[in-house]
Amino acid sequence: MTVLPTTTAPRSASRPAAAPSTGPFAGAVAAEWTKLRSVRSTWWTVLAAALTMAATSGQLAIYAVNANTDDDPTVNPGVLPVGDIVTGSLELTQYVVLALGLFAITSEYATGTIRTTLRCTPSRTRVLLAKAVVVGGLTFLLGLLLGGIGAAVARPVLGDWGRAPLGGTLADVAASAAYLALVGVLALGLAAALRSPVLTLTVLLALLMIVPLSLQEPGITALTRIADAFPGVAGGHFLAGDTEPYPAAVGLLLLAGWTAGGLALGRWALARRDA
Amino acid sequence: MITLRGLTKRFGTATAVDGLTLDIRPGQVTGFLGPNGAGKSTTMRMVLGLDRPTAGQALVNGRSYRQLRHPLYEVGALLDATGIHPTRSARAHLVAMARSNGIPARRVDEVLDLVGLDGRAAGKPGRALSLGMGQRLGIAGALLGDPPVLLLDEPVNGLDPDGVRWIRRFTRDLADEGRTVLVSSHLMSEMEQTADRVVVLGRGRLIADAPLAELLAGRPSGTVRVRGPEPAGLTALRDRLTAEGATVDLDGTGLSVAGATAARVGDLVYELGVRVHELTPVAASLEEAFLELTADSVEYAAGPTGGEPR
Repeated sequence: MTVLPTTTAPRSASRPAAAPSTGPFAGAVAAEWTKLRSVRSTWWTVLAAALTMAATSGQLAIYAVNANTDDDPTVNPGVLPVGDIVTGSLELTQYVVLALGLFAITSEYATGTIRTTLRCTPSRTRVLLAKAVVVGGLTFLLGLLLGGIGAAVARPVLGDWGRAPLGGTLADVAASAAYLALVGVLALGLAAALRSPVLTLTVLLALLMIVPLSLQEPGITALTRIADAFPGVAGGHFLAGDTEPYPAAVGLLLLAGWTAGGLALGRWALARRDA
Repeated sequence: MITLRGLTKRFGTATAVDGLTLDIRPGQVTGFLGPNGAGKSTTMRMVLGLDRPTAGQALVNGRSYRQLRHPLYEVGALLDATGIHPTRSARAHLVAMARSNGIPARRVDEVLDLVGLDGRAAGKPGRALSLGMGQRLGIAGALLGDPPVLLLDEPVNGLDPDGVRWIRRFTRDLADEGRTVLVSSHLMSEMEQTADRVVVLGRGRLIADAPLAELLAGRPSGTVRVRGPEPAGLTALRDRLTAEGATVDLDGTGLSVAGATAARVGDLVYELGVRVHELTPVAASLEEAFLELTADSVEYAAGPTGGEPR
């Protein structure tokens, strides 16, 4: 922030003479970050995500070792890269992380601060994009941290059944961070449209898990193809580096499309509704 | 300057604000009066771009609020004291507001100082703030950008007598600095203390828009109440007062005299030798003027059925 010229008038000693040099979008992003970091729930969520990641990746690593050493020869995963454990752990951990996107908007409605926010930044598009930048940035960084935690926990548990090639592990950690950021912002967009945290979480559970799982269950190709278009499944193909049913990059694009759609829905609702 | 042109807001079939056309000018405190449900808050929310008008326009310095890039420099507002996150500190609340408009962080300390919140209060989380502190915090937020236009919705709510006096002086000072100050209240007595001009709403419609003095002058400038045990004496007093050009109502309990001073009435009582038990000057108040103006437009009329549905 630039230092602005001061006058000697006591009431407005630091009031800039004209409009500030900070653009409204940069200001909105700074404000959103200030709001997110100044509430306790943000840091509890980060802690909960770290613990969930450590527990889940430890458990998945134990499963992998057991599968390799038990009497049943039909399921032997063999020597696993720790990156697989990391990406596999996201299936559960994501529900903790997406709370960051959810609360970034539902808490504003619950406490009435949305009216202050919209008075400070009247452009609904600007408000939502600023929130998306902050939530996306924080969940991406958190994703990197969680990837590190997952790898650090899984590697010693896997022992001889694990390997951690530097390049591959880093790529998996980065992909995990990207996945979590996109899911976090999707949660933000849906929450802006739905306002209620419980309703939003229900819709997210349905989109990420329940509906695609039900579609895949009967094993009918047509239904499985539809399930492949859902955000969680698309993200899963991206994380697994699949080539079927579509390349991993397409999985990433599909997930990003859901996120963009969620934001568009949120913006539409925000612009239309009285605060 | 706030400009309203045919401003209308409907919620379903209920009309909250009905074709409001009005200019709120700088350099004076404009009191925004009306019974609960008259549309004051809805009007303010439309000015601030929070509610979308069904029809018409609300402009601040000629522009619609949603077009403003750094609105805190142009309009400050106090809407409700409860709008703070329970675990966010009062200071962080203001810092976030300041950042959004590129206002330097040291301005936060200035406005905290200005509204009398010390470091300890500013560090408190939202849920630990009293209603009065929340109100001061809201006013601090309104002053962040040192704006030329201020909207204060029921600012004295929850304040102790010191706080009320402080608000009155404060709104006066802000107006004297040439700002546009719109203060809403459902308390007529409050407006009488602070407002230069009064805008009265009833059922979303404009009922009056006049200088306070004019609104009060429209009423008889006070009455004198006389009670006594002798109807004959009171009748004689009435005839004498009427002969002097006063307007007198005689009812079962006594006289109500308009157009004569209490001193003159007392002199006549002595001159005529009438026994009286009470002689009271009754000042005309904004309250009376207000009640008269809004008599037909009270949203929730008290009655045995508890009022009509919305």
